[in-house]
Amino acid sequence: MISRRNFLKGASGMALAVPAFYPLLGWAAGEADVLMQGKDGLIVRSSRFLDLETPVEYFNTWLTPAEHFFVRNHMHEPSTLDPALWKLSIGGEVKKPYSLSLAELSQVASHAVVNTLECAGNGRAFHNPKVPGVQWEKGAVSTGRFSGPRLGEILERAGVKPTGKHVMFRGLDEIPGKVPAFIRSIPIEKALEGDTLVATHLNGAPLPKHNGFPARTLVPGWIGAASCKWLTEIKVLDKEFEGNFMSPGYRMPNQPVKPGEAVRPEDTHPVTALNVKSLIVSPSEGTVRSRPLNIQGVAWAGEADVVGVEVSADGGTSWQAAELGNEKAHYAWRLWNFKWKPAKAGDYVIASRATDSQGRVQPAAPVWNPSGYLNNAVDQVKIHVQA
Amino acid sequence: MSKLRMALLGFAVVLGAALVSGQAGAGPELPAGLMQAKATTACTECHEARIIVQQRLSKAAWTKEVDKMTKWGAVVDPQDRDALIDYLSTHFSVDKPAYLADRLVSVGAKKRQR
Repeated sequence: MISRRNFLKGASGMALAVPAFYPLLGWAAGEADVLMQGKDGLIVRSSRFLDLETPVEYFNTWLTPAEHFFVRNHMHEPSTLDPALWKLSIGGEVKKPYSLSLAELSQVASHAVVNTLECAGNGRAFHNPKVPGVQWEKGAVSTGRFSGPRLGEILERAGVKPTGKHVMFRGLDEIPGKVPAFIRSIPIEKALEGDTLVATHLNGAPLPKHNGFPARTLVPGWIGAASCKWLTEIKVLDKEFEGNFMSPGYRMPNQPVKPGEAVRPEDTHPVTALNVKSLIVSPSEGTVRSRPLNIQGVAWAGEADVVGVEVSADGGTSWQAAELGNEKAHYAWRLWNFKWKPAKAGDYVIASRATDSQGRVQPAAPVWNPSGYLNNAVDQVKIHVQA
Repeated sequence: MSKLRMALLGFAVVLGAALVSGQAGAGPELPAGLMQAKATTACTECHEARIIVQQRLSKAAWTKEVDKMTKWGAVVDPQDRDALIDYLSTHFSVDKPAYLADRLVSVGAKKRQR
């Protein structure tokens, strides 16, 4: 039987136009498709609030095009946002609070950082027992060239007081009901690092609306939640911001816990930098005809550097080194490639495992935690090689 | 390009713009049951049902979610709380098959194919 989705993959442009009507006719999980301007072929984890996952097969380029860049929203996007009226205020523990228009912000020297941005909950769906939250599989991650003024320069113009210890960001997202606002803070040291930005551009073009237009913070190497979208306020605080998305949100147990075990808040710490991780981009799960094969993927390590990727074709019993791609930047993933010739036809479990400059290696299985954060288990793809 | 094809593409673009403003259609509905209407009212005021139907949680976990969401403004009559937890933990329990997610139609692919 051919599914509607498989049919669509092989359909002509005209046939592709037709299924856009289906959302009006009713939905069936796994069958209906949604059309959204500016985002292309992504997996809909939620459309209100908007959470879009990038299919792993799209990660075949070092930079992820804007239309394929994943989206993670905690709240509703700003319903109205006029760039001509937009203002960014800088205040709190500073000597001279001030504000900037978008035109004024664009006059500040721009700096570019290629960064792999990953949602802390990427891979949550693979935890056992399951934990509540958006059930991201593998693609709540993307890599882009972000550019805009350094956050440090924006802060220095205000003169940070010695009492300034944390920097809080507020976006223009709209908050329903009594839901706590999506406000978080980062330590002043990270805020003043040269690669931490008030980003206005992604891959050389203004940020897409879903990715934070007209400005967002870019906290490189850290979980996506640190990088506030639709930024409108920067406030220097004398301590970490107190709010739901700092605690109990975005915290990990200090010690490993048994799957399903409750964790006391005092036994947790904030999630900050990403860990070491790799994904197999090609081949996809299924039947493979051609051989030998190029097994390809991506690997990243937050603030550390990927130093190696190993591939196993026997489910993790033996490992061989993959070749790392030439394109690299401190906070960006590396493409990798491994040439493999199956000894015979049959079923195989292909696995990838990255190691970083801090000596960290991907674990064989997800490290369970109550919110399902930072799942960096060895990636696996099951394939069948035809004779 | 035929007129019919142009018309269909034009309609798709208009619909796309409408979906952007309306955040991509209505999404799935909650399953039939005694609490369907009340759950729909309580939950989908802020988010669509899709975020619920993808969860596979124990009754204890659903209890925590319902109580958290009630604190965050979901309108749940105290006398409906237990029935709502039963409804969610019956339909979206750990033993249910995995939820299969939808994909956005590939607008860019259409443009490239023209």
